[in-house]
Amino acid sequence: MKTETKVLGIILIITIALLFGGIFLLSRNSSGSAEERVAQIDYTKGQKIGSDSAKVKLVEFSDFQCPACRAAEPVLQRIRSTYSDRIQLIYRHFPLYQHQNARRAAYLSEAAGQQGKFWEVHDKIFETQTQWSNLGNNEATVLFLDLAKQLGLDEDKVKQEISADTFKTLIDTDIAEGRRLGVNSTPTFFLNGRKLNLQNFNDLVTVIDEELKK
Amino acid sequence: MLLRFCNRLIFILSLLGLTVSAFLFYEYSLSGPMNCPVGNGCDIVRASPYSKFLGISLPILGIIFYAFMAGLSIWRTKNIQDTRFTGLQLLSALAGFAFGVYLTLLEAFVIGAYCFWCVLSFIISGVVLLFAVFSWRKRHEN
Repeated sequence: MKTETKVLGIILIITIALLFGGIFLLSRNSSGSAEERVAQIDYTKGQKIGSDSAKVKLVEFSDFQCPACRAAEPVLQRIRSTYSDRIQLIYRHFPLYQHQNARRAAYLSEAAGQQGKFWEVHDKIFETQTQWSNLGNNEATVLFLDLAKQLGLDEDKVKQEISADTFKTLIDTDIAEGRRLGVNSTPTFFLNGRKLNLQNFNDLVTVIDEELKK
Repeated sequence: MLLRFCNRLIFILSLLGLTVSAFLFYEYSLSGPMNCPVGNGCDIVRASPYSKFLGISLPILGIIFYAFMAGLSIWRTKNIQDTRFTGLQLLSALAGFAFGVYLTLLEAFVIGAYCFWCVLSFIISGVVLLFAVFSWRKRHEN
């Protein structure tokens, strides 16, 4: 065998070994035992759809400005319509610091919640995410107030609540609970207290079905 | 000499593509946001139904493709003048690039978002194809 063949062969074997060894080690560290551990979640908090007595509770820690959270929305909306009588979906805020308009969007959703329209605004905020993600603070507020108006909310009340940071404590409480539960990215889901490691958001339907069968 | 140089470049590019695919494979196994250096389309692409082809995760297909290309360039070192290897290398590179075109069109027109790592892998497959074409032409000129 030629020297070049040997050298390239050895390089390829070493590269494959290093890559897959690295993946194995990283995966072992990142998956941990979170899936097996049942976290103690305060189910009294958060915005809910579904009965409090539902057998299955799905808690989502989410950020309105996070693209992955938006990508999860079609599946979540399907879950909301398909399983509405069997599961309870709970939305908890986890706005990431690098998303400059995420907290303001969370304030808007909570202000809408005060007027009984959290989920309508929630859906609209995700739907329009690309329109406001890169806006400055003031422009984003203007757009949010316009959304509030479109959805029939009391615009002045919403404006006052956003500017007065009325929901700051509520959002901070959600973030604190998320951190306590080990949330470090969004969206993070807990199904009956077990943190989910999903490869695809469609897998949510599978794990919910499995939980309902138990 | 030029053929040998081209073959080595294909080998190095294949290792690079293998690294990108392995990184994507790792990222696809996680539920958190992806590490996306440019834009934020990686999460959207990963969450789309097009992240799998015939039930196989795309990074796995990438790993298989680049490992095969690297293996082929090692095999070619045995006899750099053998036209069968040059032809096979060209056909494989063409197939990989064509699949990359299909995936990039999906990103552009169906998913509506670009994944930095997928585009990088597509570019690498394009450069591999360029060297494979060059190598094939040089071999047939001789």
